[in-house]
Amino acid sequence: MPRYLTRRLGQAVLVVAGVVGLTFAVMRLVPGDPAVAFAGPRATEAELAAARARFGLDDPLWTQLWNYARDLARGDWGVSLHTKQPVAQDLALAFPASLELVGAAMIVAVAAGVPLGVLAARFKAGLPDFSVRLTSMLAVSLPVFWLALVVQTVFAGNLGWFPVAGEYDNSLDVTSPLRVYTNITIVDALITGNWPIFTSTLWHLVLPALVVAAYPAGVIAQMTRAALIEESGQDHARLARALGFGRIAVLTRFALRPAAGPVLSLIALVFAYAIVNGFLVEAVFNWPGVGRYAADAIRSLDTPAIAGVTLLVALLYVAANLAVDLLQGLVDPRVRGR
Amino acid sequence: MRRQRRLLAIGTAAALALVAACGGGQVRGSGDRSPGAAPSGAAGGGAVDTTFVYAPNLDVVTDWDPASSYSNEIIAMQNIYESLTKFNIQTQKVEPRLATAWTASGDAKKWTFTLRENVKFHTGKPLDAEAAKAAIERTKEEGAGAAYIWDSVKSIKAKDAKTLEFKLKYPAPLDLLASADFAAYIYDTTAAGSGDLKKWFAEGKDAGSGPYTVDTWQKGKEVELSLKAFDGYWGGWQGTKYKRVEFRVTPELTTAAQLVQRGEVGFAPRLNPQLFAQAEAQGAQTEQAASFQNLLALFNTQHGPLKDVRLRKAVQKAIDYDGLVAALKGAGAAASGLVPQGLFGHVPGRAQKQDLAGAEALLKEAGHGPGGKPLKLTMTYAQGDADQQLLATLLSSTLSKLNVTLEAKPLQWSTQWDQAKSGDTAKRQDIFVMYWYPDYADAYSWFVNVFRSSAKPSFNLTYLKDDKFDEAVDKLTELAAVDKDAALKSYADLQTRLIDELAVVAVPYVVNYQRVLAQGVSGYVDNPAYPNVVFVYDLTPGA
Repeated sequence: MPRYLTRRLGQAVLVVAGVVGLTFAVMRLVPGDPAVAFAGPRATEAELAAARARFGLDDPLWTQLWNYARDLARGDWGVSLHTKQPVAQDLALAFPASLELVGAAMIVAVAAGVPLGVLAARFKAGLPDFSVRLTSMLAVSLPVFWLALVVQTVFAGNLGWFPVAGEYDNSLDVTSPLRVYTNITIVDALITGNWPIFTSTLWHLVLPALVVAAYPAGVIAQMTRAALIEESGQDHARLARALGFGRIAVLTRFALRPAAGPVLSLIALVFAYAIVNGFLVEAVFNWPGVGRYAADAIRSLDTPAIAGVTLLVALLYVAANLAVDLLQGLVDPRVRGR
Repeated sequence: MRRQRRLLAIGTAAALALVAACGGGQVRGSGDRSPGAAPSGAAGGGAVDTTFVYAPNLDVVTDWDPASSYSNEIIAMQNIYESLTKFNIQTQKVEPRLATAWTASGDAKKWTFTLRENVKFHTGKPLDAEAAKAAIERTKEEGAGAAYIWDSVKSIKAKDAKTLEFKLKYPAPLDLLASADFAAYIYDTTAAGSGDLKKWFAEGKDAGSGPYTVDTWQKGKEVELSLKAFDGYWGGWQGTKYKRVEFRVTPELTTAAQLVQRGEVGFAPRLNPQLFAQAEAQGAQTEQAASFQNLLALFNTQHGPLKDVRLRKAVQKAIDYDGLVAALKGAGAAASGLVPQGLFGHVPGRAQKQDLAGAEALLKEAGHGPGGKPLKLTMTYAQGDADQQLLATLLSSTLSKLNVTLEAKPLQWSTQWDQAKSGDTAKRQDIFVMYWYPDYADAYSWFVNVFRSSAKPSFNLTYLKDDKFDEAVDKLTELAAVDKDAALKSYADLQTRLIDELAVVAVPYVVNYQRVLAQGVSGYVDNPAYPNVVFVYDLTPGA
């Protein structure tokens, strides 16, 4: 196991180094002068020169790459050209909100996806199976931005059942101020017992979390179904069936546990994907996460911020992959030898 | 298994309790989390206070320093800071703000402003002539943003506590300049004590004298900025007024429209024509207001085919001005000359019309057009701007019928601008499309920035070099200060020269703002001299 762990960690470090090189290259290859983005559209030549000097844009490329990698390692992710704040600080403020949204979405996705997958596997080729496959295909293929707008217009705008946008009712900042520890609002509200903000956040989470959950729920349902069908054909499951266990019992007690490995791996990967997929949902629901930050950064060609978001997402993917590998290594000893 | 679960539950609870017990957590939305701590004398905000909510599309504040601020934050700054004078769009005159009266010498080189009495900064310090002098001098020294508005000022003297005297290097309309939307703010330069004032501002603190002061600033949050009433405001708080202002960042226009409709937001500065029509149909309070911002198509007079004035005139005539305005569905209005209506220098009755026969004749004369040599032109415009894209689509379709291929490239501003300023003239475009707007309510900005020649191109992207024109532009400020009629005539002549004679520019349309206000909000007047600003103090909340 230690050798396996070291190998996987080594690979992860290489991937991160590759991503750092790539983001740097993209930052410098993008046409346009970052100094213009920083100093504003009506900047004078002197202001542009000062901005170039401040960000070392006149140094040779190799020096810039070395400085960039060194600063990243020190936790200095550069200064956003648009917000004029350190990128790492901006991301530290925005990321918890994204985590909150995607975390809630993943709970919904697992709570809906796994039972639906079991249902479809139990009634394989029957009407429930067909319905689940159709619904999950729709959930996977509907454009998330469109879905967000439709859900918002219908359930918030027209019916008025849910809030249109926001993380919680902003007036609560005055009447029931929240003490912040983790910066994840719902967690902070829970640990400090701030029930007004807790319930308001929960209420505001419903629509965006459902929209973000659509894709993972669809994928998880399909994957659970496929894994269960495969497992229930295995000897151990057939033996359980021969011993007199019911179909549902065989699926949930005997087939689901061995099938959990691939499903868990999938959940970890879909989680990283959902963070990026949630960007557009954040824009529609005014969710103060990384998505809004990324959108602003792209609009203003804020290269350090774009690179910061890219790096954060890459790190998430690497972490998710690493978690999957380690999890599978723990669950299945055969994997460690590969 | 059960034991493991119990252990997990105990572990989680212990971790949460530890986090909670560790302390160090900050209170969100209060002064101790945001550096915008409540300055003394500020009226305490509370849920009972009426709050006006503004829904901007982009983040609110990028620069807190009133000297260098030159961006979106104007919507907040104009409610926090005040200038000596203010431009009134209805009377089209400069009116008192921090200065109650002013006089100019005959040659407009000496200006004397009388300051309002009993004005205090949010820091508690009284606003007197010395303080105003210090603020303007600091802005001048910083030399950033729109600080150039004070370029004409040679010296400032605080004659007494209420009298501020300016001596100018050359005649200039200082009353108008002092009403500029940026760089004209008067602020307390001693706010940071012996500390660095720029750093002090950057923490989200303010040192203005306006009706509102910073309550909280939370970068990246939905309500990025909230302001609260300043108790010591010279205008007082009699009558029904909004006591709090919140800026709730709403990037999606559809979301903004729904928030206004539900009354959660008081003002959305911009909707698209479809949403605007929908809001109107649903009975929302809408306002379509002309702006001081127009779209310019600048023709390359130094390099490429458009060096030929006949071809420039042909492109001017090929633009479908009416079709464009119709397709914009209220988001744009026909332009009359280079200077938008409402500004000194505007000339009415000069709207251009499409003239395809005229364009064809000019192209033929130059050897092009149907049956002639094919002509290829390059045009660059702002990426993601649907209205500019509309111009590109309509113009390339029209030109293709005249045997002219228009290669229209949407680019990010910095790329578009870099390419236009390139030292290699072959890399420059034939047509450069951009918006222009003035920094104070005067047409001078178009002429000096966009058309006056300079050694290296900056915004003069027609690359025009015309000594006579430059000479006339250099006299404009002086003329506007001493002889209004002569200045008006000069503005008209210069527009004729640029548009009709030299044909270096076409003005496809003037931008219209399509605003939506929540029901019950009254007293709103759109003032294009302060783009997108709502002067919240002037509003009356609904029942």
